[in-house]
Amino acid sequence: MTPGGLSAHGIGGARDLPISPELAIAGAVAALTVSFTVLAVAWRTPRYDTATSGRPAPAWLGALVDSTGWKVGWRVVGFLLFCYTAMVAVFGKDLLTNPLFGIFYVWWWVGLVPLSLFLGPVWKAISPVRTINWLFAKATGGDPEIGLLRYPERLGYWPAAIGLYLFVWMELVYPYSTELGPVRLWCAAYVAVMLIGGALFGNDFYERADPFEAYSSLVAKLSVWARRDGALIVRSPLANLDSVVPRRGLVAVMAVLFGSTAFDSFHDSQHWIGFVQNSEFIADHSWGQQLAGNLTLLGFCLLVGAIFMIGTMATGVGPGTDRTALPALFAHSIIPIIVGYVVAHYLSYLIEGSQATLIKASDPFSNGSNWFGTADWSMSYYFAYHPTMLANIKVLAVVTGHVLGVIAAHDRAVKLLPRRHQLTGQLPLLFAMVGFTAGGLYLLFAS
Amino acid sequence: MRRIRVLVPLTVLLATVASLTACGEDSEPTPAGTSAPQTIAVTIEGDTIEPNGERIEVEIGQPVEFVVTADAEGELHVHSDPEQELAYEKGTTILEIGPFDKAGIVEVESHDQHATVVQLEVK
Repeated sequence: MTPGGLSAHGIGGARDLPISPELAIAGAVAALTVSFTVLAVAWRTPRYDTATSGRPAPAWLGALVDSTGWKVGWRVVGFLLFCYTAMVAVFGKDLLTNPLFGIFYVWWWVGLVPLSLFLGPVWKAISPVRTINWLFAKATGGDPEIGLLRYPERLGYWPAAIGLYLFVWMELVYPYSTELGPVRLWCAAYVAVMLIGGALFGNDFYERADPFEAYSSLVAKLSVWARRDGALIVRSPLANLDSVVPRRGLVAVMAVLFGSTAFDSFHDSQHWIGFVQNSEFIADHSWGQQLAGNLTLLGFCLLVGAIFMIGTMATGVGPGTDRTALPALFAHSIIPIIVGYVVAHYLSYLIEGSQATLIKASDPFSNGSNWFGTADWSMSYYFAYHPTMLANIKVLAVVTGHVLGVIAAHDRAVKLLPRRHQLTGQLPLLFAMVGFTAGGLYLLFAS
Repeated sequence: MRRIRVLVPLTVLLATVASLTACGEDSEPTPAGTSAPQTIAVTIEGDTIEPNGERIEVEIGQPVEFVVTADAEGELHVHSDPEQELAYEKGTTILEIGPFDKAGIVEVESHDQHATVVQLEVK
């Protein structure tokens, strides 16, 4: 890609067709109706209690995932993937056939979402930086859980939010996102920061400051898997979602994830291309397009954060409730909306991009070799041949995410708000959520 | 009882959404070469390029023909699967691509001008 190239996601060929206006409107109407139905008929006493919800997983499953072989096995898988990635980053050619780009932008960034949704906190289980930190700690007779210092509570998820922002900036704004040097540098900086952070603060650092672990583990709250007192339990995704810890910076993580995905849709649209290519300012300044991209990405994230904060704080609160704590306490309800939108936005890209990456992975040095026997596999473009089905799945994913988000927010509202504000207090957040969903559908329609 | 009270309207609503969205048939690829090509005139002069990122509808199976009039040689980059580079010369060059066999948005970029020329909406 060239500086100023406008292709989607850094890599990849053709993009999805926009969804039809009928479908977008049907989705938005459904989201609106469901929202008010939930408000009108749903329970008035909180249902989800992290301390009691769920039931123990089958004993054999608990024994399996707690066995040393299972844990070490997945660490080995993660570490082998890490070694392979480091190898193509250092010795691979600076060509789009280098599998590094697909590993970075498709497997890591997008693939982690469905894996975490179905299997739980996947990155925590395979994270090579955790593994290296564990090895360092064992080699020096220390405990990987504990670092030299305690992780400062006030940082919360903020480092993860910044890391996620730097990733989406690299993917969506940085003009050399598909050149080897910058991607290699990004990965090297990530590993370096993670190893230093782990040594300083122990495993708490990975939990809260590793952008990929934070993302993966938050998405995993929509899976059925959880742990209580160390034991594996199974519970409904909504009950699981209720167990998200409202740390500082959680709202920022949500705003970056949703805002950047929306920006990604937006910068493929006619509006954006028309603006960028017709603006005299951008034509006159070589850095004009970079500036516009940077400001718009930042603007999308700030706008999402601002709408959410206003939506959650514009309610009556009881004595003893701090209004400014409300956004973090409601932030878990945005997770299903993000996941629904990510499914809609990335489904075909994930399926096609991960196949392409698997094919390229057999030829790490672009010299025609076939390491894993996948080099001559052919691609399946299933969704490109079934565009109507793809569009339906997209809208269903967005609406489902919205419904789960509204229910999660409702349960939290009846838990937190005084009785007389329980219904009216939810309205601003409900409007914010309908706005997110309708905005997401509009972008799927206008892209 | 309360659970049922909530689940019933939700189920009805979701079923309504599903039926609303389930209409429409998936298109199967049509045999290539049956329709006249979509002809797109492209003019390149210095840093300006015409058309300027517009979206043009193309049918599945319909070939596309660019009639490029340029004041210098260069290349158009087509973001199809697989991606294609089409070289044009100074003067008028006719470039043919497609027909495309699957639906999607295919960007056609000019690398020298750093601009999207057209987006082909294949459907």
